[in-house]
Formats: sequence, structure tokens, C-alpha cells
Amino acid sequence: MATKVKEPVAAAASTNHGSANSDNALIGNDKLKQLYSTMLKCRLLEERARILKKQARFKGNYYAAVGQEATAVGSTVDLRPEDTIAPSHRDFIANFIKGVPLTAMFSQLYGRSTSPDKGRSAPAHCGYAPLNIITPSSTIAAQLNIGTGVALANQMKKNDNVVVAFSGEGSTSLGFWHEALNFAGVRNLPIVYICQNNLWAESVSVKLQTKVEDISLKAIGYGFPGITVDGNDVVAVYRVAQEAIERARSGGGPTLIEAKTYRWYGHSEIDPAKYRTAEEVEEWKAKDPIAAMERYLSVKKLFTSDWKQQITDEFAKELDAAVEVAEKAPQPEPIECLDYLYSFDIRERELNRKIYSPQF
Amino acid sequence: MSVTYLDAINAALTEEMRRDPGVFLIGEDIGVFGGAFGATKGLLDEFGADRVIDSPLAEGIIVSASIGAAMAGLRPVPEIQFSDFITPAMDAITQQAAKLRYRSGGSQTCPITLRVCYGGGTGGGLYHSQTNTTWFAHEPGLMVVAPATVSDAKGMLKASIRQDDPVIYFEHKKLYRWPAIKEDLPEGDDLLADLFHCAIRRPGKDATIVTYGFMLQLALQAADQLAEENGASIEVIDLRVLNPLDHDTILESVSRTGRLCIVQEDHRTLGIGSEISATVAEQAFDCLDAPIVRVSAPDIPAIPAAEPLEQFYMPNVAKIVDALHRVLQY
Repeated sequence: MATKVKEPVAAAASTNHGSANSDNALIGNDKLKQLYSTMLKCRLLEERARILKKQARFKGNYYAAVGQEATAVGSTVDLRPEDTIAPSHRDFIANFIKGVPLTAMFSQLYGRSTSPDKGRSAPAHCGYAPLNIITPSSTIAAQLNIGTGVALANQMKKNDNVVVAFSGEGSTSLGFWHEALNFAGVRNLPIVYICQNNLWAESVSVKLQTKVEDISLKAIGYGFPGITVDGNDVVAVYRVAQEAIERARSGGGPTLIEAKTYRWYGHSEIDPAKYRTAEEVEEWKAKDPIAAMERYLSVKKLFTSDWKQQITDEFAKELDAAVEVAEKAPQPEPIECLDYLYSFDIRERELNRKIYSPQF
Repeated sequence: MSVTYLDAINAALTEEMRRDPGVFLIGEDIGVFGGAFGATKGLLDEFGADRVIDSPLAEGIIVSASIGAAMAGLRPVPEIQFSDFITPAMDAITQQAAKLRYRSGGSQTCPITLRVCYGGGTGGGLYHSQTNTTWFAHEPGLMVVAPATVSDAKGMLKASIRQDDPVIYFEHKKLYRWPAIKEDLPEGDDLLADLFHCAIRRPGKDATIVTYGFMLQLALQAADQLAEENGASIEVIDLRVLNPLDHDTILESVSRTGRLCIVQEDHRTLGIGSEISATVAEQAFDCLDAPIVRVSAPDIPAIPAAEPLEQFYMPNVAKIVDALHRVLQY
């Protein structure tokens, strides 16, 4: 039977920094620091991507998850290479967390021939086959269905690999979303659905998407656990996700996790997000998952501003290097437009059509 | 022993599932029930419920779960019970399966073989009769095949399952038990059919008919009738593959006969005949001795149930003979 837990009972919620539990036996100090440093790097990475976009250094658009870092970091930081991530357009950072080289990610933004997709998909639609990250499409929730199929294959192959599939609250309105979760429930598949409820699907409020207050309630209809978690509390997300991942690995079936969070910026870099009030944005910026984790780590005496500066400086160098590699990487040759359609080549067919009219 | 088109499909699935443990089936009513037409009869008993999956009534997940499973290295053979019900899976087919290899720069692929039962002439009405092959032939990235013979039904299905691309395999429900096409088939791996070329089913020199699926039977009858009538020699080409089209076999034939009649069960506008006509006009204009003629269903949404309406809708031998007369007498 589905359960609904509004506040993760065991979680030492970082937003409750005053009562932070210092003898947290389940999550070691190194892991807590890793959660923080990974979030910080994700933030730095995306702010860099946004600057590059604003400088028109790459074409296309970018969909920043700034403000939502805890949801991606908490749920994927401990995945194995064999595990699969099914990302949406706003999960570019999931690639970084799973270990995709920054050079590959920036080559993706720049649409270079060295990008994982050889310059085909939109900048933020980064996938990476060696680490089992599905290349996203723009049709919302489609990645859930494909991820569900990967979970079916893992189950059939009797391995213990899991799938983490991301979607936003807007996607829950689609039939695809229902078909994926329903099928996963019926087959008891090893998959964790993470719904990043950031209140806005482009310009449309969650109030216009669903009448339920907590999207995790929908899991009841599929016969597996659903849980709502503070998506700006990386420790809480980590705990809930670890439990769901362990359940999936051990044959216990799927879980729906609703992470309530907020994107600081517009839907994309061309969206000023005027549909939201300044008060709402400020309210959520005050709940910044990174600042909250700094407070939590400070209470545990695990944080210093020097350490943060060191991470920032070192990662800035890594970003500089990756950007330089991407900018120097070659563009695809125009003719490569015809490649990677089928397992067989179509260049000859497209370019050299046989003419049977001698006069033409 | 001669077997039916349906037997051939069943045999292909059985052989491929025995050969490769990664091959599995998923669809509505395919397990316990053995398929709406019996195509998967007996497979649940032999291979079990993990490899013959009775799916929920949800075409979207039938196809998209297959895409994911194929990405993960399996060889799914999903089924759409009637092509009329394929629309909930359109995103999965056209946006995911067709584009996955391309959008990932060749690093992610989904070799699925989607079996789709299609076609009219059985009184099935609007939603059990459609021939919507063109929707998929229009999608680069998909291979679309439509076997018209028992041998192809088996050989093309086996080859499709082994092909490293998403293949939509259209099987015509009227051919399932059509007695006239029964054949003796070899068992085992001898029968792997080509997935790239048309087949000339009846050589001729005066005009070319291009068709596929059940319409091949009508085209062959029309060609025989004309031969008896006035000795006209009609070449009949079975397309077999709707995407990517084998232009050269068609063009080469038209360059010899000078006359082209295209027969399709689908309605007229932007059908497969439109593409073939345009290709011939572009690449073999000088070879034509007469206008190209299409015999197709009219541009109405789907096949009506009442028999007189259905008969008006469907191409038949008389309509093809009439078209050939016009082409030959020009």
C-alpha cells in the first residue's frame, strides 16, 4: 500500500538547522560534505552555462535547475555506473553528478562534433551512453517511459541495476506519465520516479496541473509507495532516495518521490518569468539548498568558508578548461547531417539519386 | 506442409525466441489469449510470462517500454493489435524510436520490431480496418516493412528482429489465412529475407504496377485478367519495404515499361503513391509514355462498416483493370 509521509521522519532536515542532528549515524561526514560540494559545483556549472548563453557563446537555449540542486544531487550521487538516469530538459547537472566529463558536457552545449551526440540535440539535452544517461527529448515525460523499459530489461536480466527517472510536476498531467507509473507498478519494476515539483511548468502554476496538494499521493493509484520530501533539503532527499533505490535494487519495486522545490530563473534563458511574484521568488531563494547545507554543516563543524572558496576556485579552473576544450573543438562537417540515422549509411542514397532521364 | 501467413509469423517468433534469449514479446492479449488473431498462440506455454508479456491496455508503454528494453540490450517485439489503435504510441514511435539513434549521435539505439496488424476488407469498420502505413513511412529513422507473401511474412520478421534499427512490421489481417498464398517454408535460419528491396512478382513489359500488402493479390489478378483480355504484359512490383523506399527497382521497371499504375489501400492524399509518383516524375520523366495513375481509397477518414460503403472505399480488381486500360490506351 502506498504511504504518504509529508516530512521525512528520520531526516535531519537541513532547513531545521537549529535542531540539526549531530550524531547522524546513517550518513557519514564525508558523504554530507560530498552532498554539499556536489551541489555547489552544480550551481557553479549552471551559472557558467548561463553566462556563456548570455554571451551568445553557444546557440540554442538552456534550462537551468539553479535552486533545485538538492533534488538531483541527493537522488543520484550514489548511483552506480550501471544504473540508468532518465533526465528531463532541466537535468543537465545529472550528467555531472554521475561522472560525465565536463569537456563532454560543454561540447554538448556548444554543439561540437566532440559532443556525446555529435552536435544533434539541443544544448541542455545531454545524454551519455557510457554512464547510461538517456539522451533527452523535448516531449515531456517521454523519458519516464523509456526509463521504465530499461527497468523492465534490468528485471528480465535479473541484475540489481536501478533506474532514476526525473520529471517535473507539469509532466504528471500527461498520459505518458500515467502509463509509465502504472506499468512499473504492475511489473514491480526497479525504478525510482522523482517528480521535481517546482510549482511552475513554464508559465503554468501547479494549481492548474493537478487538484492534489502532494503529487506523491498519485502513487496510491499505482500500488507502490509515494513520498513527498523537502526538495531543498539535500539530506532529506538523499535519505528518501537511498531508501527507494535500495527497495528497487532488492526487488521491492518502484517508488514515487515528490521533491518540492523551486527554480530561481525562468523556464529557459529567454523567459523572464514575469508570471511569478518577486515575493515568491525571494521566499524560495531564502530556502536555497546550498546555503541551508552550509548552515547544517557549520553546526556539525564541517564547513568553513575557506573550504567553500577552495572548491569554488578549483572548480572554476576545471570549468575554464572544459570551456576552452569545447570552444576549440571542431564543428561537425555539414555532411554529417546525414549520419547516425540508421545502422546503415544513407549518404549515397541521399546525394546520388539515379536519374533515368538522359535530358535532365 | 504448406502454411499460412499467420503460421509463418508464429514460426518466425518461435524460432527467433529460441535462438536469442533477448527476444521477448509484449502486447495486448498476446499471452493467455494467444493474440487477437492467434499470431502468438502457444508462445506463452513455451517461453513463459516473462518473455510473452500480456501488457496493460496502453499502447504508449507497450512501445516505449520496448524502446527502453532495446536500449538496454534486449530485442523486444511489441505488438499493436490493430493499427487503428497505434495513435497513443505515436510519440514513442516517431519522437523516440525514430530519433533515438540520431539524437544521440549513434551512441544509443533501440532495435525493436513493432508488429502492427492493419488493413480493411473484413467489415471491421472505422477502427479495425485502417491502413496508416504512410504515417510511419514518412519518418526517417524508422524502417517500415509490409510483407505480402508467406515467405516474406516469416523471412522479413526474422530479419527485422535481427536488424539494428527500429522496424515497423505491418501485417495485413486479410492475408493471415488467405488460402491462395499458402506456401511450403523451410524451418530454421535459412529464411532471412532482404529488408531493402522491392520484389518483381510478375515480370512484364507494357506497364508497371507498384503495390504492397493485400493489394498485391488484386494487382496480380488484374494483370492476369489483362493478359487474357488482350495479351498485355503487366509487371507487378511488390514494394515490401515502405521506408526507406527502394527507388531504383521501381525506376528501372518504369524505364522499361514506360507506364506506371500505383495501387494502395491507404487513402490518396500524400500516400505512398504520391511519393513514388514524385520520384518517377523527378528521376525518370523521359521514360514515361503515359500519365501515372493511382488506384487508392478516397480521401475519407477510414473504412466505413456497411458493406456497400466498404466496397466503394476499397480498391478492387475492376478498379485496377480500369486504371490499366487508361494507362495502356493513352
